[in-house]
Amino acid sequence: MGASSAEISAPARAETATARPRARARWRRLLPWAAGVLVLLACLGLQTQLYTGQERTVTTIFMFVALAQAWNIIGGFAGYASFGQVVFFGIGGYSTAVVMYHLQLNFWLALVLSGLLAAAFGALIGLPLLRLKGHYFAIATLGVAEGMREVVNNVPGLTGGGAGISIPTVGPRASTPYLGNDGFYILFLLLAALAVLVGGLVSRSKFGLALRAINQDEDAAGSMGVNTTRVKVAAFTLSGFLVGLVGASYAFQQVTIFPERLFDVDITVLMVMMVVIGGSGTVLGPLLGAVGLQYVSEYLRQHYTDLHTFILGAIIIAAVVLVPQGVVTYAREATRTRDFSLLGNVRRYRL
Amino acid sequence: MTALAQATLYGLLQGGLLALVAVGFSLVWGVMNIINVAQGAFVILGAYVAWELNSALGLDPFLGMFGAAAVLFVLGYVVQRGLINLIVNAPIYLTLLLTFGLDLMLVQGMNIAFTADFRSIPTSYAGNSIALGDVRVPLGRLLAFAVAVAVTLLLVAMVNRTRTGLSIMATGMDRGAARLMGIRARHVYALTFGLSAALAGMAGAMVGTVGTFNPAAAGGYTLLSFVVAVLGGLGNMYGALVGGLVIGLVEAWAGQYLSGTWVNAFAFLALIVVLVLRPSGLVGRAFYATRVEV
Repeated sequence: MGASSAEISAPARAETATARPRARARWRRLLPWAAGVLVLLACLGLQTQLYTGQERTVTTIFMFVALAQAWNIIGGFAGYASFGQVVFFGIGGYSTAVVMYHLQLNFWLALVLSGLLAAAFGALIGLPLLRLKGHYFAIATLGVAEGMREVVNNVPGLTGGGAGISIPTVGPRASTPYLGNDGFYILFLLLAALAVLVGGLVSRSKFGLALRAINQDEDAAGSMGVNTTRVKVAAFTLSGFLVGLVGASYAFQQVTIFPERLFDVDITVLMVMMVVIGGSGTVLGPLLGAVGLQYVSEYLRQHYTDLHTFILGAIIIAAVVLVPQGVVTYAREATRTRDFSLLGNVRRYRL
Repeated sequence: MTALAQATLYGLLQGGLLALVAVGFSLVWGVMNIINVAQGAFVILGAYVAWELNSALGLDPFLGMFGAAAVLFVLGYVVQRGLINLIVNAPIYLTLLLTFGLDLMLVQGMNIAFTADFRSIPTSYAGNSIALGDVRVPLGRLLAFAVAVAVTLLLVAMVNRTRTGLSIMATGMDRGAARLMGIRARHVYALTFGLSAALAGMAGAMVGTVGTFNPAAAGGYTLLSFVVAVLGGLGNMYGALVGGLVIGLVEAWAGQYLSGTWVNAFAFLALIVVLVLRPSGLVGRAFYATRVEV
């Protein structure tokens, strides 16, 4: 940039006039990264201030930040609403449990292996399934997740079946010592940071542009030279990799895992909800959505035990009807157009 | 041999019931492009309404099912008119999320109102059975099957013959054109959703008569609706009947010959294969593929 402005022999005054907005633009570009690093450090500092129960709650929030960011890559950027993303969570968790139980493999090795296995599975099912659109894709992915749970349920020799499988954490069979509350806090924080980083990189890359183009008009994207199949499968695989890593860490944290929990459709729905309520296709949206929704959910669980899911359902309905495009997208548009009316917002998608 | 015949009969009878659960689901999906995740909750709610009518007024469940249908119709109409119509034009996962929120509220609401205990609607005759050679035909299931098939056929006739039915079809094919012809799309959508809920409620009354139910069973019925509707082809109401019978048979046979819950794995495998290879379903053509969205 400096070289090109030197070549043009413009008056020095004009150059300083353009240099200031340029510097500001560069600052604006760096701002999210700087903010990200600050938040990361703040979360590390926060750890010292929390007692055990709070620490576990915040750890769960980190987990959902990572999951929501991962879903956002395929569901938000590419617009392919996967309702079976939990299958990668389950595959990641079970491959970690299986290799640690049967082969006494080190957890860190198992973690990487699980991520790769989930990614490979994503590529494998992505090829046929990403040909489907809209609800058909959603249902097919849901079917994959439900079917996979049944497969895991029915091979008890390998997975323990419905009775669950326990990762050895103490004694001679334990390959990696249990990380404890503090260790898992750091692990899930790093996973969340990784997912946000990947989301940010995808958002600014040519790959991200291709995904957005597919979201808006897949045929047009194809005719502009985007290899839509490859880009979609890559996004699905990347998302599966991240979810697989989270699933693997979750399995180690829980020690004993069951198919019903690891392939729970509610986990997928939570991912979707966090992304949609936060603002799909943005990096900030899934982050805020995950933190906000998980916080509210935890608060309700503690204060209104019986009514917890009932109120959560009402919140979902209200959020979907009032800000269907997501909080972050709504805020951005509202500040740009200076139109903050929620009622006008409701009219958007009305029949 | 007797075991096979018994399993086949049981599967067919169960399949008819599944068809009634799924036909409304399929209609809503086909006409409005909405996936109603709360369909299973509607079924269970219908069962509770019939149960209440039975225990409070002593009403036979085969009469109580009309009460269940009426309650569910009103609920469905109001939900569509007041909520879903607001986001009909939004990206697809929004309607899915909305109905999921509804599902959470209904299931938890029923948990609070009726507890999580298993219940069944008692009748003096549902447990009786007719002997056909070596095969025993349970009377309650036979009646439920007859009602399910009759109602499904009635729905098909209604949609194809009456003005209301035709306006539902027309709105499903091309909403813009339908509105220009004077069809009130908001009302028709609400009507469609109400009908679908009413059928689910009827199915629920019969589910409560032939077996047990509790709020947690809602999810299973929603998933079965998916599979049946996809197998049959969306919006294709005869298709739902075929899909229901196929799934009923497969479940019964697999329950007889396969160990564990492999049957569910196969059901979902079948679902995926049908989606990938023949998205228009096993029977019928890609009717809604040419739909115009305005």
